[in-house]
Parts: sequence; C-alpha cells; structure tokens
Amino acid sequence: MNGDVTLLSATKAEWIKFRSVRSTIMGVIVTFVLTIGLGALITTAVRGHYNEMDPLRKLTFDPVSTSLGGTLFAQFAVGVIGALFITSEFSSGSIRSTLAAVPHRTRLALSKLIVLFVSLFVMCEVACFITFQLGQAIFSGAVPTASLSSGAVLRSVLFAGIYLTLLSIIGYSLGLILRQSAASISVFTSLLLILPIVIFLLPQSWQNHVAKFEPSALGQSMMSPTTAVNSFGAVSALLILTLYVVVVFGVGVTLLNRRDAGASQ
Amino acid sequence: MIVVDHLTKRYSKTLAVDDLSFEVKPGVVTGFLGPNGSGKSTTMRIILGLDHATKGGATINGKSYHDLKSPLHEVGALLDAKAVHPGRTARNHLRALAASNKIKSARVDEVLEFAGISSVANKKVGGFSMGMSQRLGIAGALLGDPEVLLFDEPVNGLDPEGIKWIREFFQSLAKEGRTVFVSSHLMSEMAVSADQIIVIGRGKFITQGSVDDLTATVQGTVFVRASDPQRLTTALRAEQGVVQEINDNGLSVSGLTSDQVGEIAFGAGVVLHELTPQRASLEEVFMDLTADSVEYGSHPTGAA
Repeated sequence: MNGDVTLLSATKAEWIKFRSVRSTIMGVIVTFVLTIGLGALITTAVRGHYNEMDPLRKLTFDPVSTSLGGTLFAQFAVGVIGALFITSEFSSGSIRSTLAAVPHRTRLALSKLIVLFVSLFVMCEVACFITFQLGQAIFSGAVPTASLSSGAVLRSVLFAGIYLTLLSIIGYSLGLILRQSAASISVFTSLLLILPIVIFLLPQSWQNHVAKFEPSALGQSMMSPTTAVNSFGAVSALLILTLYVVVVFGVGVTLLNRRDAGASQ
Repeated sequence: MIVVDHLTKRYSKTLAVDDLSFEVKPGVVTGFLGPNGSGKSTTMRIILGLDHATKGGATINGKSYHDLKSPLHEVGALLDAKAVHPGRTARNHLRALAASNKIKSARVDEVLEFAGISSVANKKVGGFSMGMSQRLGIAGALLGDPEVLLFDEPVNGLDPEGIKWIREFFQSLAKEGRTVFVSSHLMSEMAVSADQIIVIGRGKFITQGSVDDLTATVQGTVFVRASDPQRLTTALRAEQGVVQEINDNGLSVSGLTSDQVGEIAFGAGVVLHELTPQRASLEEVFMDLTADSVEYGSHPTGAA
C-alpha cells in the first residue's frame, strides 16, 4: 500500500517535530552564539597578549584550534538538543502516539538519528567555518594565521563540525537509554567534564594512555591540523568517536525495542 | 475486529492483566469497563504494541500491531489526551503524525475542523484544556480514516455538550461498520454510549454482554409491604427467600420473583399493600460484579 510507513516518511515526520518546538530553536541559537561569539572572544583575547607569550608557547601556537575554541562550550548545547529530541517524548508521553504511528522502533530511532545528524551537521559546519574565518580575521596582522587552502586546516574545521554533530548523537543516545532530560544531560556533561578530572587523578603514566580516549580529547585531536604528543591523529580520533556513537546508540535502540513504551515515566 | 487472546501482563511485582481473552466486533460500540487500576489501559497499550505482553497477545484484523504496514490507516487510538509535547501546536502535532503515515496535509485540516478545534490549531497544546486535548486526540485518531478505533476514558474532562457530541460520534462510527472500543470506569457512561460491554476487574475477565444482559445477570429485589410482615417473612423464608426489613411493614426480598412473592403471600393469607419488583441499576450491577476486584476500595473500619 502506498501509505506504508517507511524510513523516509518517518524521517519527514521527525523533521516536522524537530523544528516545531522552541527547545530546538533555542538550542540552535545557543550553539551559534557559543561557537562564534566565544570564538571571537577567545581569539581577541589571544591577539591581545600574544606578544607576552613565552617563545615555547608561541612555537606550539595553533591558530586553527584556538579559533575553534567556542566549540568546547557549544558541545554542551548540541548534547542538550540531541537529548531533548527524545526525552521530551518520554516526559510528555507523546512517545505513545509516535510509536502508534511508527511501530517499528528501530526505524523510529533511525529517523530521529537522520534528522539530528543532517540538521546538526549543516548547522555546526556553518558555525565552525564562520568562527574559523572570523578568528583568522581577528588574528591577522598580529598573530600567525591559517588558511583553508591547507588540507590539514580544512580537515580540522570540517572535523570540528563533525565532532559537534557526533556529540549531539551521543546526547540523543543517552536520552534513549535514560529517558529523562535531567539524567541524560547530567551524564552527558559528566562525560565531558567529570571524566577528564577522574582521569587526571590517575598516575601520569596511565594518563598518557587513557586521557586521549576521552570524548573531549578526541575532539581536540580532530580539530588540530597536527598531532600532539599522547593523542590520536585526527582521522583515528574521528573513528574512535564514531565507534562510541555506534555503541551508545546501539544500546539505546536495543533498550527502546525491549522496554514498554506505554507507562508514564 | 480486535482479538485479545489469553493476555497476561506482569509488571515487576503486580499482575496487571491476568489471562484475559475477548473479542471486539465491528459495527457496534463496545465498552471496556472496570474499576480504576483494573488493567484497561494496560490492555489497550498492549493492543497498540506499546507495552509487551508477558504471555498471550492481541491482534487487530488478524495482525499484531507491530505488523501493520500503515497503522494510522487501520487503527486510530486516543490513549492519553495530555500526552502531546506541550510546546508544539495542535496542527504541527497532527502534521507530524500524518507525515509518518503518508497522509495528506489537507486531511489534517479536515480532522481539526471535525473535532471543532480549527480555531486553536496554531496554538501550543500546553495551553489546552482537558476537553480541547481530548478533541485533539480524537482528531489524531481519525487522521488515517481507520476501521478500528480505541479510546481510553474519552469523556474525561469533556463538558456536557462534548460528551453528547462524542456519544453520537461513536455511534455514527459504529454505524459505518467500524470497530469502536471505548474504556471507562463509569457504568453510567457505558450504559448510554455502548452497545456491548466487556467488564474486567483486577486484570481478569468478568463478563461480557449487552446492557440488558448484564442487568439480567444480577437478580433484582422485590419490595413488599404487608399487613402482617412477620408472617410473610416466615412464609418467604420457608421458600428460600432472603428477606430484609426496610421500614414500617416494608420488606426487601431477593431470591424470589414478584410473582412468587405474591403467591406465597396469598398462600399464607397475608394482605399485600404493595408489591414492586426493583430492577438492579447498572451501577449496582457493576458494583456487584467488581466488588471482589476493586484494588483501591474503601472498606468500613472494624468490620471484616
């Protein structure tokens, strides 16, 4: 029958839902403000005391990742967008009408994933390229700058957008697993902020091997044109982060399929 | 047609539905009656594939809900009217549901119009009254013009005009040959809106039938006033009647028909002043049927 629910029709429905609530709109605005606004703030500050930096820091100074510094704050906003996309369904109970319309739960989870991935990818790439260009414009004349004509620089800016997109998927997957907005956002924030502190308490020799696996460390690796000591190369970091996403999303989908969706939370 | 077949649902500790079986046929409004917490909503959620059955299951037109290719075209359901994202407008809520099942957006306006909420279609659902939410839920259930409709406690929060509207609406759906399954914990509501009634209590099937069938299952009492109540009582008790004294010469007799009571009085030579058969009200029938299965009943203190 031509009215059959398909991945495409479910995705169209989720796209309508995604853009018809204020939390998404707010999330998008906050992501842009944090990425570009804080990026501009950081680059302006760096330009101000670049001359006072010691020579060693000047030597390792990276205009690319510095100009993308706003993403370190925007990563929380995209995580919240991802988490709320599913937890709002559980908290309001609308998951019931959603699943009554799309009973195939893996299909539903995938349709939300597609909407989130595509819209966040476009949005985050735009934000990252703007903040990069803005940052270089602020640096120019006073601080060494980078150009997109370099393959490694282009990759770093591109990967910064992908990093944010993947983090929103992690937020979404945590939402599938935990079903509550507050719990999902707390766990997401802990992964980015608390985990590095815990790892910092380990002996130095362990830290060198473990810290590079943190999601935020992977993000730093992805956004750097060069590979730092005790960290992964950009492509390896992308692959590892993608593996995290696949695992967390897989757990989320399995739980969505296994659990009752009817009873209120 | 909805078939529930030996359905059992156990939540960690509680047995919500216990080996429940029944059929809901097309062409009539079928009421699903039971006290609060008797498993009505759980059963409906399992029919809709939202909760997983522990044992047994439910089918709609022979298929499990999960196997319906285009569910909104086959089944329309209103479970919880307030279960809509409060920040989304009524129209966007329906547009998303419609898009998933490839229903044209013109249909969204049709059902909004039908449910009488066109004027608030672009308002956020969070500000809706219970009655408006119920109407939105009904609009959602009708989107795919389905043959099978399920409504969980649909009259809750509706004003009298809305209740009248919804009763007539259920009847018109049934007349079109659709399967209409409506739950309620109010017998009086079922009595006026349903043709067939399925009664459950504590997740167990109790009885099924038309309103008249159900009233007949509980025998009414006979009210009688006589010149000599003592003698009449003795005579009635001799014929297995259960007699209760009401007030000045009045007796309430159960276990005997009014004809039998009259004949016994004649045989005993007692003059009758009044002989009235009392038909059990639906409410009494319901109380009687579910007396053992009320989960949250109030019990008189002291008396065991």
